[in-house]
Amino acid sequence: MLSESARMSTAAEARFRIDAPNSRPRHVKVIALDPASEALVKHLAERRWNSASFFTASAFAGAPPGRGFSMQGWLSDLAGRTKDLIDEVNGADLVVMVATAGESVQAAALIGEACSLKRVNTTGLILGGASATDEMLSKTLSQLRPWSLMLVIANGEDYIEDMLIALRA
Amino acid sequence: MLRKEQNDLLTQTGPGTPCGKLFRSYWLPALLAEELPENDCPPVRVKLLSERLLAFRDSGGRLGLIDEFCAHRGVSLWFGRNEENGLRCPYHGWKYDVTGQCIEVPSEPEESGYCGKIKLKSYPLVERGGVLWTHMGAKDEVPPLPEWEFAVVADRQRFVSKRLQESNWLQAMEGGIDSSHVSFLHRGDLNSDPLFKGAKGNQYNLADSCPVFEVVESAGGLFIGARRNAEDDRYYWRITQWVMPSFTMIPPRGNHSVHGHFWIPIDDENCWTWSFDYHPIRNLTDAEVAAMRDGKGIHVKCAPDTFRPLANKDNDYLIDRAAQKAGRSYSGVEGFGMQDASIQESMGPIVDRTKENLVSTDNGIIMARHRLLRSIKALMDKGERPPGVDPAHQRVRSAAVVLPRDQAFKDAARDALMARPGVAPASV
Repeated sequence: MLSESARMSTAAEARFRIDAPNSRPRHVKVIALDPASEALVKHLAERRWNSASFFTASAFAGAPPGRGFSMQGWLSDLAGRTKDLIDEVNGADLVVMVATAGESVQAAALIGEACSLKRVNTTGLILGGASATDEMLSKTLSQLRPWSLMLVIANGEDYIEDMLIALRA
Repeated sequence: MLRKEQNDLLTQTGPGTPCGKLFRSYWLPALLAEELPENDCPPVRVKLLSERLLAFRDSGGRLGLIDEFCAHRGVSLWFGRNEENGLRCPYHGWKYDVTGQCIEVPSEPEESGYCGKIKLKSYPLVERGGVLWTHMGAKDEVPPLPEWEFAVVADRQRFVSKRLQESNWLQAMEGGIDSSHVSFLHRGDLNSDPLFKGAKGNQYNLADSCPVFEVVESAGGLFIGARRNAEDDRYYWRITQWVMPSFTMIPPRGNHSVHGHFWIPIDDENCWTWSFDYHPIRNLTDAEVAAMRDGKGIHVKCAPDTFRPLANKDNDYLIDRAAQKAGRSYSGVEGFGMQDASIQESMGPIVDRTKENLVSTDNGIIMARHRLLRSIKALMDKGERPPGVDPAHQRVRSAAVVLPRDQAFKDAARDALMARPGVAPASV
């Protein structure tokens, strides 16, 4: 169209791209679901992040909710302070659940329910995919799959850091 | 997002670059076999990984891929005479064989042996599956020949095309593993394209527009599974294969052929999009081949005697705004291939990934970049052979399957994800 002052992109045209921020930080909540993942998440939390915060639900890994179970009782930050799941999900743009292949991750259902209620996207990340047997992997997968809009099975622990950087967490 | 230095690392493939070294570990598709149709046919200029080369087939049928320019005065040997087992520069008659060895310098006495001191850089060129493949790495590190299933089936079971894409290879390849764009960009074409329509899987696709994704590392790259609801307690899975560095295979539909791509850097701002279709157990029909030649399915129609698409950035991809407005086409650009190319080229020659805002459904792309970066580091630091070089990594298939909801596709579809001669592809 003659009225247009720019045509399809060329290397020369690319010089005129607007150089200004095009997004604001997103709030990413990273939750370890088992003790092995908790160690990794603690290590990650030592890095500088835009707006990622780190939690653990590993205390809940092996204990199904019983009578009198409270949503306030099991999610904690890495210093051990109890956190309210609904409050945390309310302030999130994305929740990343980190699990280790072969571990029981029953907390995934509670977190998933809360995210579903608040319409917050969930990503499930299973580490140790290469060394785990099919049975181990299936056990963890079956608990995470119903609650993850994106599931990633990674061989190396270094993936989670790259993923969070890629997501501008 | 990627940091600038990571983006540069992954998008620069010229000589001496780390990602260039990665690409030089593999057999790469260089030309269609039909581009050198007979002995002593005209040579073809080839630019790959930012190197200017010339391909020719000599009088004895031997294939050569050599430095394009004569060692004497730098003339392009494309003007050369392909005769009597060599390519002769028309300027002063210097002649080269398929290995780049100079075999005649007419101005010098033959006894001087001067021509023996002149040798152009050359790479091996071998024909396999209708494609001429080259390996541009070290001569003592040439891997076994490629064993992609499309390349080893009978000729009548396969169709291969290529087209120029005016963008860096990575943004083109990332489109191939970004399954979530199909529900938008290609919406409407599933039920009309002759190479896709009629499959039961299309109904699942159209009935559930919110697929859920699973990304699993494989030996050679990634499995990218997209699941949609099917009947009862089952899921419809479409599992794409990505094999390093730039091979993707799209899940089949019904009894249609299986298809996929390679994205091969020409230079840092252009790449070849190779597109193949094949069926593991039957010949392609004349109607299928005619449709592929006509730019249907994943193929595109190119300008006569070129590999540049008829719809290209100079004509705004012939976008049909009326069709877009009327809902006949979601993007207004015709055909799967050009829908992808138009979008990817619009990002600019090399997209600035420091500005992007990825979301969780982009994990296939994030993981592919992660594996590429990891492999480049291992190659540069320890000389580790990257995934995808081993022919075992190439004997793979994509698959479309319906599975019980509690089964992991990686396990339930394990056999379906491997190339098995004489066995039909897993397709719905």
